[in-house]
Amino acid sequence: MKQRHLLMALAAGLLVLPIFYSAPYFLHLVIMIFFYIALTEAWNILALCGKVSLGHAAFFGLAAYTSAILCIKKGVTPWIGLFPALLVTFIGAAALAIPLLRLRGPMFTLASIAFAEVLRRVAMVWRDLTAGAEGLTIPFVPGWQNLTFTTKIPYYYIFLILAAGSVYIVHRLYYSATGHHLRAIASDEEAAQALGINTQKTQLIALFWSAGITGLLGVFYTQYVYMIEPEWAFSSALFCLQPALNGIIGGLGTVWGPVIGSVLMTPLGEYLRSYLGALQQGLNFFVYGLVLIGVVMVLPGGIVSPLLSLFKRWTPSKAPALDQGGKVR
Amino acid sequence: MELFIQVLVSGLLLGGVYALLSVGLTLIFGVVRIINFAHGELMMMAMYLTYWLCQAHQIDPYLSVIIVAPALFLVGMGVQRFIIQPIFDSSALMKIFVTVGLFIALQNLALMLFKADFRTIQTSYAMSTLEVGGISISVPRLIAFCFALVLLGGLFMLLKLTLVGKAMRAVAENRVVAELMGIRVQRLYLITFGLGSAMTGIAGALLLPFTYVFPTVGAIYTLLAFVVVVLGGLGNMAGAFLGGLFIGLIESISGVYISPALKEAVYFVIFILTLLVRPQGLFGVGKGTEEVGLK
Repeated sequence: MKQRHLLMALAAGLLVLPIFYSAPYFLHLVIMIFFYIALTEAWNILALCGKVSLGHAAFFGLAAYTSAILCIKKGVTPWIGLFPALLVTFIGAAALAIPLLRLRGPMFTLASIAFAEVLRRVAMVWRDLTAGAEGLTIPFVPGWQNLTFTTKIPYYYIFLILAAGSVYIVHRLYYSATGHHLRAIASDEEAAQALGINTQKTQLIALFWSAGITGLLGVFYTQYVYMIEPEWAFSSALFCLQPALNGIIGGLGTVWGPVIGSVLMTPLGEYLRSYLGALQQGLNFFVYGLVLIGVVMVLPGGIVSPLLSLFKRWTPSKAPALDQGGKVR
Repeated sequence: MELFIQVLVSGLLLGGVYALLSVGLTLIFGVVRIINFAHGELMMMAMYLTYWLCQAHQIDPYLSVIIVAPALFLVGMGVQRFIIQPIFDSSALMKIFVTVGLFIALQNLALMLFKADFRTIQTSYAMSTLEVGGISISVPRLIAFCFALVLLGGLFMLLKLTLVGKAMRAVAENRVVAELMGIRVQRLYLITFGLGSAMTGIAGALLLPFTYVFPTVGAIYTLLAFVVVVLGGLGNMAGAFLGGLFIGLIESISGVYISPALKEAVYFVIFILTLLVRPQGLFGVGKGTEEVGLK
């Protein structure tokens, strides 16, 4: 049970961290790590069944816009607004469900990109509702009701809960019957179906969990940054490519891969953005693209699997608590 | 009514260039069997090259094709040799990630080199039009359309008549048997990728006199090429050509009658609908499409 102790120590450390060190820049970095852990875990649920979505910004943007518009125009607190936001996200997910069930491989990925792109353009054009490219600003009324704060500490805990919650959900899902079905679908959809797995239902469960967590993140993250505009809310770089990159670097279709990927890539991303990005616009993402190509060529299983073998050598526990970093075919 | 005919003509002319772009994609897909997410980026590179040749060396965009096409041929071969070939036998997911990585890298390379500005070139004929029976035809679009038709005709001849073309069709039909018949498949992949990229590059050069180039332009053209290719039937050359004309028409009509800002949204919706309702495309698919997700 060494791993459980390790997790508890980690949780305790994270809970008290802001008491000891709360420089705003540092807290922002940790919040971004938590955000990306949750987003990558959400994206990863769909990757468990071998489907790569590059359209998750659609779910993020739909939920973010719904709660932001309700908050700004009707004064609805995001705590209530997140329910209609999730509803709209699930309607979006239902729309993406059709390509998910009918297409596989790159064709589903393309359809998902087009899906997010359509929504972004609609958000740009529907000025009455979204104010188009100018964007909407969340009124700054500090307090829990409006979810806007003068310090970053409340958001530290909000995103800590979201990150821990999504890791927990993926962990539970991974070892449930549905999780096994998802992996069966990833390795061979026809064979899974022939064995009596309801592949459609299983994939829908994955899609709705994935979309729901992403939508929830959209609601909270928009309150955190105070404003929303289409290029940001439906940004493929921030909410589609980044979680995919974190996922593949950590290890696709594993529980801890997204965590490791986000912990590594978020500081790297922030560093590249502030140093290289200042040096030359675009250099940071250029490096990202090369990293992605390099990782796929050199470590196609992500870095979880080699790390795990090291980890197992250090902690000779027999419990197979962590999953194998994997081939998703 | 006159407006409608005007819209049709201008859409059809645009569609010719889209056909060229999409035939390039179909060629690569049909033979190499890879969905290249960086396809539009190849076109973006060609557009910037054309822009640079015109700005720095005053080379006419149509003349610059003799530089752009070989340059893109080499780029395409490089992509195949150094990026696709090493991962050729890995899973579909890995192929997606590699080409997505390439797409991110190229897009941001363009951002580094050219900044986020919208750029185009000024030519003496950019605004000139021909009047035919009350319909005005934009000269650059007409030139682009004719150019594209000639090239497409050339490609079809190449595929039908030459040994390389026959080898390409053989590999598209059945890679293993083609290899057993003594075709050097890896080398043919290089040639095919180069040729498809060159076609795409020429399409970029032809578009530049009447459109803009900016770093993220490639993503739009990647999706556009896939819309056309899926509509025409994946791996189906003639389908890609007709699909290109069709999407040109759709873009033109929706730009006028719905909203210019939503014209891309309209054909993305058509894309998703086609995938759902008739995934084999309007004109039937080529071989091997089940591998990439069309059942």
